[in-house]
Parts: sequence; structure tokens; C-alpha cells
Amino acid sequence: MINAAWLIPLLPLVGFLINALGKKWLSKNIVSVVACGSVLGSFVIAAGIFIGLLGGAGAQTLSLGELMNAGGFSVSLSLLIDPLSVLMTLIITGIGFFIHVYSVGYMSHDEGFARYFSYLNLFVFSMLMLVLGANYILMFVGWEGVGFCSYLLIGFWFGDNANNDAAKKAFVMNRIGDVGFLTGIFLIFITFGSIEYAQVFSSAAAMPAGLAVITTITLLLFIGATGKSAQIPLFTWLPDAMAGPTPVSALIHAATMVTAGIYMIVRSNILFTLAPITMEVITYVGVATALLGAFVAITQNDIKKVLAYSTVSQLGYMFVAVGVGAYSTGMFHLITHAFFKALLFLGAGSVIHAMSGEQDIRKMGGLKKDLPVTYLTFLAGVLAIVGLPPFSGFFSKDEILAKVFEHSTVLAVVMVITFMMTAFYIFRMFFLVFFGGFRGSEKQKSHLHESPAVMTAPLIVLAVLAVAGGFINVPETLFGHHALANFLEPVLRPSLAIIFSEEPSHATEYMLMAIAIAGTLVMFAVAYSRYLTKSHVPAASEKEQSFLYRLSSRKGYIDEFYDMIIRKPLDWISSVLNDVFDKNIFDRIVNSVGELVVVGSGVARLLQTGKLGFYLFIMVAGITAMLFFNFMF
Amino acid sequence: MENISAQITQVAPLEHYILLSAVLFSLGVLGVLLRRNVIIMFMSIELMLNACNLLLAAFSAFHSSAAGQIFVFFIMIVAAAEVAVGLAIIVMIYRNIHSIDINELSKLKW
Amino acid sequence: MNALLVLSIAGLAALFSGFSHNKKLAVIVSLLGLAVAFTVNVLDWNTAVRYYNDMIFVDNYAIAFTGVMALTMLLIVALFVDYKESVEVPNAEIFALLFFSLAGGVMLVSYSNLLMLFLGIEILSIPLYILAGSKRHTLTSNEAAIKYFLLGAFASAFLLFGIVLIYGVTASFHIETIAAYIKNANGQPPALLVAGMFMLIGGLGFKISAAPFHFWTPDVYQGSPTIVTTFMSTVVKTAGIAAFYRLFAYAFPAITAEWIPTISVLAALTMTVGNVTAVFQSSVKRMLAYSGIAHAGYLLIAFVSISSNPASSVLYYLIAYAVSTVCAFAVLMVIQHTTGSEEVDGFKGLSKRSPFLAFITTVAFISLAGIPPTAGFFAKFYLFSGAVKAGHLWLTIIAVLNSCIAIYYYFRVITAVYSEGTDSTPVELGTVQKAVMIITAVLAVALGLFPEMIISLL
Repeated sequence: MINAAWLIPLLPLVGFLINALGKKWLSKNIVSVVACGSVLGSFVIAAGIFIGLLGGAGAQTLSLGELMNAGGFSVSLSLLIDPLSVLMTLIITGIGFFIHVYSVGYMSHDEGFARYFSYLNLFVFSMLMLVLGANYILMFVGWEGVGFCSYLLIGFWFGDNANNDAAKKAFVMNRIGDVGFLTGIFLIFITFGSIEYAQVFSSAAAMPAGLAVITTITLLLFIGATGKSAQIPLFTWLPDAMAGPTPVSALIHAATMVTAGIYMIVRSNILFTLAPITMEVITYVGVATALLGAFVAITQNDIKKVLAYSTVSQLGYMFVAVGVGAYSTGMFHLITHAFFKALLFLGAGSVIHAMSGEQDIRKMGGLKKDLPVTYLTFLAGVLAIVGLPPFSGFFSKDEILAKVFEHSTVLAVVMVITFMMTAFYIFRMFFLVFFGGFRGSEKQKSHLHESPAVMTAPLIVLAVLAVAGGFINVPETLFGHHALANFLEPVLRPSLAIIFSEEPSHATEYMLMAIAIAGTLVMFAVAYSRYLTKSHVPAASEKEQSFLYRLSSRKGYIDEFYDMIIRKPLDWISSVLNDVFDKNIFDRIVNSVGELVVVGSGVARLLQTGKLGFYLFIMVAGITAMLFFNFMF
Repeated sequence: MENISAQITQVAPLEHYILLSAVLFSLGVLGVLLRRNVIIMFMSIELMLNACNLLLAAFSAFHSSAAGQIFVFFIMIVAAAEVAVGLAIIVMIYRNIHSIDINELSKLKW
Repeated sequence: MNALLVLSIAGLAALFSGFSHNKKLAVIVSLLGLAVAFTVNVLDWNTAVRYYNDMIFVDNYAIAFTGVMALTMLLIVALFVDYKESVEVPNAEIFALLFFSLAGGVMLVSYSNLLMLFLGIEILSIPLYILAGSKRHTLTSNEAAIKYFLLGAFASAFLLFGIVLIYGVTASFHIETIAAYIKNANGQPPALLVAGMFMLIGGLGFKISAAPFHFWTPDVYQGSPTIVTTFMSTVVKTAGIAAFYRLFAYAFPAITAEWIPTISVLAALTMTVGNVTAVFQSSVKRMLAYSGIAHAGYLLIAFVSISSNPASSVLYYLIAYAVSTVCAFAVLMVIQHTTGSEEVDGFKGLSKRSPFLAFITTVAFISLAGIPPTAGFFAKFYLFSGAVKAGHLWLTIIAVLNSCIAIYYYFRVITAVYSEGTDSTPVELGTVQKAVMIITAVLAVALGLFPEMIISLL
């Protein structure tokens, strides 16, 4: 099975080509079959390889040739098949498949049906290259590929300029991160003389911890990760990215692409382990992002914005986990989050679908009667994300908390606060959408309907995963045996040898679980009393609101802040440079040189007189001059 | 071969041959540069080739190697071929413009 | 060596195929002949055999350049299928002449005796004199023929005199014997030999159109039928450069001090004259002629690093230049036919008339300008980096500045392609024509992506 691994990225690529080239001729049915089938095919192969790995097969590098080789710099075209990449592949193709199926229903009335699926397949291909590539260049190719697809899909409905702006914002923010990532790769090549994982990691493992160069490399890589995975300071594009179709938000901006940063860090774990300073930076950035995301999500009224900020916050959790060296914990949360966040987004999509495009939760309410399947599956997602046992989020979140607690008590307290905020905004959204009375227009009310089976089936599958996903990594405390951590152990072995980690005592773990659950329940009660018993609906106007409320609802004024400290000074500098230096000095120099050449050319061509006698003369003169100068001097 | 070599160098030293050829070659060059009639220019080029032939023959005798003289035959053949093509071109032009003055042909310039 | 035989026979076969009433026969015979010639040529790879009493030495160098020339001519002959310009000579005769010319070219890349160098140049040139004048009733074509002929014969006389002088000193025409003689002279070569060498530079410099022996190039290129121009600027240039390089790599490597300063000056002069003059041209054909001069200048840069064997860089450069040039000329032929002009303005509105042609034009000119990822960029890169390593920094700086100038006039064509034009009738393309364009454009990009394919050959 492992020899067929090259088919995994190839199938979606073929799907992309078919749909992109045939978008004018292919019927919607064929497009759907090609798009879903190619991803399903990849999933089946990946599953086969996964079973092989479970059965004890070792990691393997599958060489497909050479991408380039110039002047001592060679890049192999090879795929790395190991537990980490296969796990990621399963998530991408598995969840990807269900989201493809869901999209068939969601996009059924859209004119750009084939275009949408070709982008989606291209995205899956790029994402697979990102995780399967056996060197940093292939990862970078995939990295850029997913960024590009994300850009295309955010601006999918390009008729509306706001969508295009959101797409541009995502692209630019990502480019800033990419500069860091790319510089990091350059530095890796300079330091290790190779960009192949195998060489880099084995040389790195022999190095002492805390080298300045490794710290620089990892910091640069982390800058790349903050762009792609929406961390402070580059996270602001993700909420805007919700302009794209909802299944895209589920696949790209929740389950897969935004976790690329986590994947990259876990893949390069040995480098990061050797850079304690970077690890501290990651931890604090992660905690801050988690807190900020949750804080902003509390007051958002757009259902997708709530989920977007929630994603920012949850990604923060993952960075905290890898920041404290608990790579497998980060991966664990990545997986559970992929399940429940994809589910929540698809559920939100179903709600939006039913509400004829309405996204404002203030105009919803009481939808549980009309949308029973969506309601139940959404409930599963809610319970998973707030982390009530035995739903998946409980296990992963709790493990993060335990690891953070080991690291620092203060951070653990902040994390608990974040958990509570998470519970609050999730229940707030949930109650406002599904309970109470309907607050929308009559027209919307008459249209309310459950989504078709092609959309609800993926919801059900994801709901099952969201409920049960946590059992892949049950800790010893709860009588499990950390299956996921053991599975990933070969990838993390070099780091585990360095990080000395003391398992917290069972008593501590029970205590932390209890605190987290208690906090969640308190918040449930608060949200319940506020939004159900009192039927409180968030105000439409911002007047007479507390400072904190405004801070949250205006998204922490981060966009305004960036505008003030970056855009405005840059605008000013560039206008000065343009008016003073560019127009008056550089343009003049450049233009004069250009004009000089043109004038020179006008003169030089006059030499070409067309007279044969002159040509002959110059030839003789040339040869004579050659002889003369060489014998005289 | 040795006999001929001895005889030739008895008649005149090698330098004289080189000088003569150089003068002939230069005359050819001057002819090409100064005349405007294509036929005469062409004849001057033939003169240059013949200067080469003479020099080749002299060197060949001087070095007692036959290669130079064989080369002369090739030059004569090539010259004949060039004459054939060259005269054809000249005739073609004469038919079109009724002149073989090279200055008449300077449409292609700049 | 077999390639030489095949080419001569194919030339005759093409000539006699003119008796047939089937007009296509000559093309088919020619394509077949070239394909066979290429194949038998490649079969000799890594054998290095000396033929005819060591008159020619078919080493890998010879085989590589012969292959390039045969393939380039194959593409050019294929263009004949859809060629519309009135050539007043039957196709069969054109092909025969091209074949004979190519045979001369093969001798030029594989000679090991100066006699073969001389014969090669003549066999290469004499058919070209006829081809240049093949539009018998067009004055410009006549003018091109007579200019080319007189200057060519004149230059051969100098070349010949140089050969004679070298023979006079070394008593041999064999390039390796000459090299051995020079080596024994311990860096003090006789003046007569050095004078002969400079005359050779003059004669060969004419063939590759190095300044100041380049004046014939624009006039002859412009006056000749476009398809002949294509042949001259690709195959003939390849043969000339390869012969030039072979001479200096085999015969004069021991006295680089004598000729490197001169060649560097020639290189700098050639590329500057070519590029600067090209800027003002409004005729694309004439502009490409000047660009050809400029490229000859870049290629001369390879000579200054001759001790580190830049043969493969030269090969790569010539391939890159040949594919881009054939591509550019293929487009130009279409423009000439549809608009009746070869001016830059004729390219206006091309992106509307045929997006395909617009794209092909862009690739061709970008590659000529030397912009990545096309082959033109890496070709320049290898040549320039070789010169830098050999310590010729100033020459490289001049070359880079020249490349900047070159971008200006190449992009004039590209901007014309994407600007508004008056004519908006779609352009019809022949299948074979289209295929040649696609092949050359793909090669121009593919060679840029995988330069190792060529660079590791020699």
C-alpha cells in the first residue's frame, strides 16, 4: 500500500485538472463525482497506509525523482510516509471528503459549481503536498499552494468587492508570514547544507540546545506559522476570510490549512526543542491569542465570525501545547478540533442555508424545531468544544491544561479563564440560534427547512467523530494508554529524548479536570440565565455599552491599531518617497539613462550606412587595428 | 621534394616569397576597397586568394611538406565555385537594375 | 561522420525530389533526412573517432553541436510546410541548399585540420549566398546576396591568409600539431603565427558577426527571405561559434595571454553595438539581427574562461538562443503574412487576435531577454558566472548592463502584443506551424527548469 502513496496527492490533482479544464462541459453530477471520488480515493489509500503503520510498518521516504538540482542545491521530489504525515493525510482527505459531499448540496445552486470544486481539489492537493513532502521546499510549495487556494476561495464570489478585499487581506497577511518562513528555510539550508528533513533533523539532533542560529531559524519558522495559523500578530485575516462559502471555512479555515503551522512545528520538533527561547515565545503568543480570540468571540453577532474567532482561540490552544513541548498534545487537539470545528461550521452553514443566507444570530432563534438534525449534531459540536466529558474536546483540552500547569501556574489560570470564555460564547451562540422565539422576518420563517440528506449526512458523521474522537488519546488517569502519543512517538523521539517531562500526579490531573468542568458549567448557567430565562438579545447599537463590551465587539481594535501604526506611517513615508525621491531623483536618473541609450542608438545606427565600401573598410581597419595594437603594445 | 626545396630557396630566400605574397594580398585588399565595380572587386578578391596560393606553395616547398600544395588545389576549386555563384548573383542584379555599381545597392541600412 | 554522409545524400535526394509533382515530397524527404542524420549522429556518442587521415575528429563536442544544428534545421524545414512568403525558387532547391550548408556546418564543428575549417566555411557560405538572393526579383534580396557574397569572400581571403601564415610557421594544418608547436615555443610564439591567428579571428569573427565585422548582418538578415534569416541566425551562428571555439580550445589554449584581451574587447564591442543599435529599430526582423549580434557578443565571453572548459555553457547558450529565435521568427512569419509588415506595430493587438500567438511571443522574447525561468536566463547565468570565476569582472559588468538595454527592445515587442491594435481579425495558424511554436516555447521553458540536462553533456 505504501508504494501507492504517490497516488494520494495525484488523485486530487487529476480531479482538479478534469474539473478545471472541463468546467464548461461537465454536468454537475460528473463534477461532484470526480471531485468527491478523487478525495475519497486518496482517503482509502491513506487509510490503507495507516493500517500498515498501526501494524508496525516503519516510516518510509518515497522518492519520485528530483525537483531541481543546481549548483549544490538539490531538492528531491519525495514523499515522507510516517505517522505524522499519515495522520494529517487522514484528516485532510477524510474531513475533506465529507466537506466535499456537503458542498455538493450547499453549492448546488451556484453558477461556479465546477470552478468551486476545482479549487477545492487543488486545495486538497496542495495541502497533501504540504504534509507529505519530505523536505522544506515541498512543504513551502504546498504552503503557498494552500494560501493561493484560500485566496481563490475567500474571493470565490468575486462580484462583491468586500470578498475581494478579504481575499487580499488573507493573502497579504500570509505573505508577511511567508517571508519569515522562507527566510527560515534559507537559514536552514545555510546551516545544515540541505533542506531534506532526514539530513536536517539528524544533524540537528547532534547539536546542543540554545544555539543562536537554531533560535533564529525557529523564530522565523514561527513567524510563518503565525501567518498561516492566524496567531498574534497576523491573525486578523482569518475572521475576514469567512467571506468565502461556508464549507470552505470549515475545510480550509478551521480543519486543515490553518493547522499547517502546528504541523510544521511538530514536523520540525527537534529544531524547536533545541530553542527554548522560541518555545517560550510560542507559549505566550499562543496563550495571548487564545485569550484574545475568546474575548472577541463573546460579542460577535455573525455566526461565522463567532466560529472564526473561536478558531483563532483554539489554534492558540494548540500553540500553547507545542510551546510547552507537548507536541503530541498539540496534534491531539488539532485532530479533535478538526472534528468539532468542521462540524460547527457545517452546522452553521446548514443554519445559514435554512435562513436564506442570514448570518446574524440576533435574527435567528428557536431553530431546533425546524432543523432537528442540524440541532442535534450542532449540540454534539458544542459539547465537544466546551469540553464536557466524555466528548472529544474534553480530553484534548484537559491534556493541554495539565501540560501548561506543569509549565506555569499563572498560564494555567489564564487558560482556565479562556476555557470559561469559550464556554460562554459557544452557549450564547447556541442558545440564540436554536432556542427562544424566532426573530427573523416572516419571509425567512416560511422558508425554514432542514437541509437535504447530502448535507446532513456529513453532519452526522462528523458529530459521531466529535463525540468519540477523544478516545484516541485517553490518558492513563482515565484508564487509557495515550494511543495517539504512542503512535506519534517515532516522529517525536529525538525531542522526547531531550525534554524531561514529569507526568503530573493523578491527583493534580483530577483537580484540573474538575476546575475546567466546573468553570464550563458555571458559564453554561450564566449563558442560560442571560439568554434563555431572560431572553436577552444583544443590542443592535453600541451606545451605552461598557468599555469591555466595546473592546470585544470591535475586535480589540486590532485592525484600527494596525491601521494606525503600520498603514498610516507607511502611506506617509511612501508618499514622501514617491514625491521627493522617486519622481525628482530616481525617475530622472533612470529616464535620462534610458533617453541616452535611445539617442545613442539613433546615432549608432547611422554607422550602418548601407554602403558596402564602408563595411569593407571597417573590416580591414578592424583587422589592422587588432594587428597594430597587439604588436605595438 | 628536398631537391625542389633546395632549388627554390637557391633562387630566392623565403622572405622574398612572403613579401611578394603580402604585397599581392595588400593590392587585392586595396582593389576591393577602392573600386566600385563589382566585377573588379571580385577580381581583386581572386588576387588575394592567389597571393595565398603562392605563399602556400612557397611554404610547402620550404617545409618539404606536400600538404600546402594540396591545399592550393582546394582553394582553386573553392574559388571556381565562388566565381560561379558570384557571377550568377551579379547577372541577377544586372538584370534588375542594369548596373553593377555597388553604390547603387544601399537600400538596406540603419 | 555518418551524419555528414547522410546530410550530403539527403541534400541530393531533396534536390531530385523536386522532379516529383508532389510538392510535399521535398519536405518529407528533408525531414526524414534530418531525422536520420540526427539519429546516426547521436549513435556515435562517446566514441570519438578520427576520420579521413585525421581530417575530422568526431568527438562529443562535434556530435552535440551537430545534433543541435540538425534539430534546429528540422524545426525550420517544418516551418516551410505553412510558409507563405513568396520564394521564387522551388522548395526542393532551397532544401538542397540548406542541406549542403548544414553539411558545411557539420564540418565546422568537427574539423581537426584547418583545411576542413576553410572548406567548411565555404561549403556553409556558398549556398547561403544563393539563398539570401532567392527572391530574385526583389531588390532588397539582391542587395543582401551581393553584400553577403562580397564581404563573405573577402573575409574568407583573410581567413585563408591566416591559415597560410600559421602553416608557414608550424608546417602543419592540424590543430593539435599546431597546439603542440605552440606549447614547445614556451610562451614565445613567432610573430607570424600570432598575426595568422588574428587574421583567423577576423575571418571567423565575420562569420559569427562580431563587431567590427558585423556590418553585413542587419542588411543581409533583413533582405533575405525570413525563413533563410532564421537559418542564418540559428544554424549558421551555431556552426560559426562552435568552429571559433573549437579552434581556440584545441589550437591556441597555450597562448591565452595573446588573444584574451583582444577577444574581450571584441566581445564588449559586439554586445554594446548590437544592443544599442537594436534599441532604435522599428523592424522586428532587423531588430532580431542586431539582437543576434549582441548574443554573439555574450557568447564571446565564454572564450575568456576557456581554461575551465565552458564548452557546455556555449552549447546550452546556443540551444537556448536557437529555440527562442526559431520561435520568435515563426511568429514573425505569421505577422508578416497577415499584416504585410515586419514592424513592431504589426504586433499590436495580437493578444486579441490570437492569445496563443501572444503567449508564444511572450515566451520567446522573455527567453531572448534572459528572464527566468526561461532557458535564456540560465544560458547567460552560466556564461557570466564562468567569466567572473575567470576573473573578468569588468567584462561581466558590461554584459549585465547590456542585458538591461536588451530588455528594453525585447519588451517593446511584448508590450505591442498586449496593446490595442486596429486589426482584430483572428489569425489562422497551420498545424505544423503551431506545433513548431509549441515545441520551441516549451523547450525554452523546460531547458530553463532543467539546465542540468545540457550542462552535464560536455
